[in-house]
Amino acid sequence: MSAALLQILLNGAASGGVYALVALGYTLIFSVLGVINFAQGALFSLGGYFTFLLMGGRIGVNGALPGWHLPVALPFWMALLLAAIGAGVVALLVERVAFAPLRRRGADPLLSLITSLGAGVVLVNLLQILMGAEGYAFPSGSAALAGLPEALFIGGARIRTVQVVLLLISALAVAALTLWLERSRTGQAMRAVAEDPTAARLMGINSGAIVRLAFLLSGMLAGLGGGLTGLSVSLAGPYFGISFGLKGLAVLVLGGLGSVPGAIAGGLLMGLAEALIPSEASGWRDALAFAVLFAVLVLRPSGLLGRRLMEKV
Amino acid sequence: MPDNGLLVQMILGALLGLSVYLPMAAGQLSLATPAFYAVGGTLAALMATHADHQGTISLGAVLWEMVVAGALTAALAALVGLPVLRLRGIYLAIATIALVEIVRVAILNLPFTGGATGIFGIPQPFGQPLGYIGLSGGLLALAGWGCQRLEGSRLGRAMAAIRDDELATRCMGINTTRVKLTAFVASAALAGVTGVIAAHYLNTWNARQGSFDVAITTLAFVILGGSRSWLGPVIGGLLLTALPELLRPVGDLRLVLFGLVILLGPVFFPQGLITPELLERLGRWDLRRLKP
Repeated sequence: MSAALLQILLNGAASGGVYALVALGYTLIFSVLGVINFAQGALFSLGGYFTFLLMGGRIGVNGALPGWHLPVALPFWMALLLAAIGAGVVALLVERVAFAPLRRRGADPLLSLITSLGAGVVLVNLLQILMGAEGYAFPSGSAALAGLPEALFIGGARIRTVQVVLLLISALAVAALTLWLERSRTGQAMRAVAEDPTAARLMGINSGAIVRLAFLLSGMLAGLGGGLTGLSVSLAGPYFGISFGLKGLAVLVLGGLGSVPGAIAGGLLMGLAEALIPSEASGWRDALAFAVLFAVLVLRPSGLLGRRLMEKV
Repeated sequence: MPDNGLLVQMILGALLGLSVYLPMAAGQLSLATPAFYAVGGTLAALMATHADHQGTISLGAVLWEMVVAGALTAALAALVGLPVLRLRGIYLAIATIALVEIVRVAILNLPFTGGATGIFGIPQPFGQPLGYIGLSGGLLALAGWGCQRLEGSRLGRAMAAIRDDELATRCMGINTTRVKLTAFVASAALAGVTGVIAAHYLNTWNARQGSFDVAITTLAFVILGGSRSWLGPVIGGLLLTALPELLRPVGDLRLVLFGLVILLGPVFFPQGLITPELLERLGRWDLRRLKP
């Protein structure tokens, strides 16, 4: 394999891993509730900020909290884990405010799409007010991963250590989640609720608790993605999650709504497709995801690995 | 009392609200309005800056631009609408968001649209905001009249039927695809024409004018105002555009406010502020007052 091709594969896999994380977050909620949580992009931003703050990052001057920072500076691993939990807790809050009231009323699921959009807008703009609109320089990847080399050379291709870490952690998270869904009792319950909420309730499954668990986990996935990406690009800003959130949607549709393997395959494919775009045309890179999304929706709305859509009468 | 400049923006907001409302009246959650708004504005900016107008432009030329932009956005909507409107619910919403993003990136990267800075120095037909109030107000009156006529018409009733139950409507022998497409095309043309006025009024135009943010703000207009009658989005658009400006200290909180409206609106006011029942009650109240 030529070094150039290997390079593209590695770069693609690293960004594809993050897309898969975000898409899996959507997938979890979609499979239990049949709705999409549009606040996922904001949770991604939050993950980046939480990681930044927990690593001892200092807020710039143009936010409402100028110069503020936490008294502690945690190592990257711990900061990332706590940030993911933090984003998961905020996701629970979003469920409480944007989803639960409508679900209780039995409202059209499209309405919760709208309320979750609102939740995302509120979160992102509160972030901007508190922390300022400018980007934050993360402690650089090499400083955070002290003791590790800046980059690795594999078969003539150069890959940054941060990217390797990013790929490994996303792969680990995805594997753990899949295993948990397949094997554990709670995972089984979650799949049961996804299959048929009423039947699951009749079997004595607390569907409310399962829904909240799905939100917690999907928030954690988004937070993880945000923290990892923040470290990898050394920058976070209030809006940086939005494009990832939107691309995660594209990945979700590409893989097939509600399909876990689809989300993973879609993420990797999207990452590869982006890596294949030459740098001269990098401005068009953002359009690619949406062109793919558009084409998939028009040609095969069930996605690559999704089930055929059934018309509910 | 808002000043004239704010009034122009309020009317533009009301027009965009109507553009989001039209597909929604046929039960379709389309977030594509900013895409067509951006195309209309870009078209006006290109046409007006390429012809030599020396800083001013005749009203006739602007009206001509509006015709061109309306026709072009309508054609574009007809083209993308056929495949897109086969999709339902969440799928349609996602597809239209994709459309907005594709148009935004295209405007940002095409060689003739000025990149990130956009096109500036767009000549103005009026020296004062008052002229724009006349132009946009006239358009709003026309659009409102059209929507009012629509409500009782065959097409309007078909749209309402699709909104309640698309399958049943199709069973009644109504070509639901054509009805949905008509609403989508009308919505696009309205957004495109509004973009033309906005580009001249703002004097400058760039890719940010038609972003995901605009999709959210215009959606907020309809959610707050109510999507059950055309007056809802108009009132929603007027109010929500004016509110952040009137509450100066809220300036930075503008988008938070919009977000809260979208977040809490469906929870507390599932139908929006302006509901058909409210209008009916107002109507009865009026009659009682008029009768001796």
